[in-house]
Amino acid sequence: MKILIIEDEKELAKSIARYLREESYIVEVAHSAHEAEEKILAFDYDCILLDISLPDGNGLKVLEALKKNKKEDGVIIITAKNSLEDRVAGLNLGADDYLAKPFHMPELIARIGAVIRRKKFGGSSRIEFNEIAIDLMAKTVFIGDKEIDLTRKEFDLLVFLTANKNRVVSKNAIAEHLSGDNAELLDKFDFIYSHMKNLKRKVQEAGGEDYIKTVYGLGYKFSV
Amino acid sequence: MRLLQVSLRSLMLYALLLVLVSIPVSFFFIERLLNADVDKSLGFRLDQFEQHLKLYESLADIETDLAVMDRLIVDIDILPADQITKRVFRTVERYDSLENENRPYREVSTGIIVQGKKYQLAIRESLLDNNKLVGTLVLVQALLAILLATGLLLLNRSLSRKLWKPFYNTLSQLKAFQVDKAVSINTEKSNIIEFDDLNETIQHLTERNRQIYLEQKEFIENASHELQTPLAVFQSKLDNLMQRASLTEDEAQEIIDLEEVVQKMSRLNKNLLLLSKIDNNQFTDIEMIDIAQTAKSLIQNLKPVAAVEGIAFRTSIQPLLIRANSTLIEVMLTNLFQNAVRHTTKNGTVIVETGEQYIRISNTGEPLTMDAGKMFKRFQKETKNEKSTGIGLAIVKKICDTNGYTVDYHYKDAMHVFTVTF
Repeated sequence: MKILIIEDEKELAKSIARYLREESYIVEVAHSAHEAEEKILAFDYDCILLDISLPDGNGLKVLEALKKNKKEDGVIIITAKNSLEDRVAGLNLGADDYLAKPFHMPELIARIGAVIRRKKFGGSSRIEFNEIAIDLMAKTVFIGDKEIDLTRKEFDLLVFLTANKNRVVSKNAIAEHLSGDNAELLDKFDFIYSHMKNLKRKVQEAGGEDYIKTVYGLGYKFSV
Repeated sequence: MRLLQVSLRSLMLYALLLVLVSIPVSFFFIERLLNADVDKSLGFRLDQFEQHLKLYESLADIETDLAVMDRLIVDIDILPADQITKRVFRTVERYDSLENENRPYREVSTGIIVQGKKYQLAIRESLLDNNKLVGTLVLVQALLAILLATGLLLLNRSLSRKLWKPFYNTLSQLKAFQVDKAVSINTEKSNIIEFDDLNETIQHLTERNRQIYLEQKEFIENASHELQTPLAVFQSKLDNLMQRASLTEDEAQEIIDLEEVVQKMSRLNKNLLLLSKIDNNQFTDIEMIDIAQTAKSLIQNLKPVAAVEGIAFRTSIQPLLIRANSTLIEVMLTNLFQNAVRHTTKNGTVIVETGEQYIRISNTGEPLTMDAGKMFKRFQKETKNEKSTGIGLAIVKKICDTNGYTVDYHYKDAMHVFTVTF
């Protein structure tokens, strides 16, 4: 899977690239709109991370260039400007998602996974690991051939963890993913712990293996 | 008291004093002038009388003639005297049979010698009645005083209406001036140097104030934006660090602490940006919103979070339609709800009710230790909760202010009660 990061802040681009490479993505980086346009025309990417505010022009131009050249690359806009107008403009120009800075890397990974799934596999909504099968559309989970009944939060939690399999996901990232702005109110550990406990119990009761490991002090890891 | 009234009062006082003082002074001088004139004519008559007397001194019966003259002529007395006196002028009162009263006369008297005999000669002329003189003077002066007072009053009224109009115009505009509103001060030319000068200075001053305000606002907005990228760098590096297998428990804790700081800074940034956007009137899309609907869905999202602390929601919500910007309403309600949850004691209750044009959010909790008046100010925190940014209620207040709603707080029956009236 090839990913292009278009981001003028070099440290950020470097840091994202490093995280993505460990997810075994092939990553390229462009620091300006000009550089980005050259790369876009020359290669196909599975997903493009696009910062809107670039030194040599609005990143939305890159989106227009993609559209003009009938490119099918998935695009996630990452921006410091979390304004509704920018979001609408970006999505109207064909961006697939929109992520405001700062963001947790597991969140970005989950979003990239969703975009690629949509683009690459014709919107296939099934994720499978060993005995676990998740249907994203129907929101159902099977352990082997046995369906388990999860709450909305437990389902989201499972999908989020599987998207970040074999990586440590902090409890902050999980809390924010599950409850957005309300995350700041909670004692994250208590909140996540109860959902996590139920999820693990339900999977194990259906005969599934316990893939979710607690990483002490930090969060959790879905180890396959 | 108005400026013109103050100046008028001193002017009037001075004018009236002058008029009053002028009555005795002019009386004194007019009297002296009249006396001098009468004295001159009396002296002249006396001189003539003495000359004529010398011509007839040789007549044998002059003595009898003088006696007759004394009797017949009212204005002249000639009486034998013991000694010769010098010429003396004085004012005397004499009975006037015609007017039937005492009247003032001016009299000159002198001693003369006729055929070796001493006589006292006095010649008189009637004076204008003093009382009448004073009366007329007082009347004239009083009339003057009345004309002066009414004239000044009328002039003052038309002056304060005409002359001060540009001043009051500027003043009312200054009173209405708000640095965050795009209404500038528009003064008209008054043709009075001081006022035009004042207006120009005020215009300059307010324009400059607004400029500084706008720059500051823009600065906050830019600074908030610019900070998000470094925070993103920070967060992504933390995420990378977390993946290290060799992390000790202590190191892991430090990473999580840092991550929480990043999140707090990011929230603070977003809230500052939001305040600045509300100030900039960037939320202009107005639509019909059912407050009840919005509140219900927000509460639905909050319930699981609140449940962790054993906090229960009780609602009594009827449809409440208002025309407003949906984002702002959502932000306002979210902040109020989050504030309530944050300050509710463990296993406490949050009550949300709607009524005729209002929504009320109450939560169980300890009484405030801070001044309730400071509650809606930025960065005034009651809670020890380190996750709170201290801006939530300031945003609520700002949204209410810009949309003409009111937000009230009171503490009753161990509950904090916030009411927003639309």
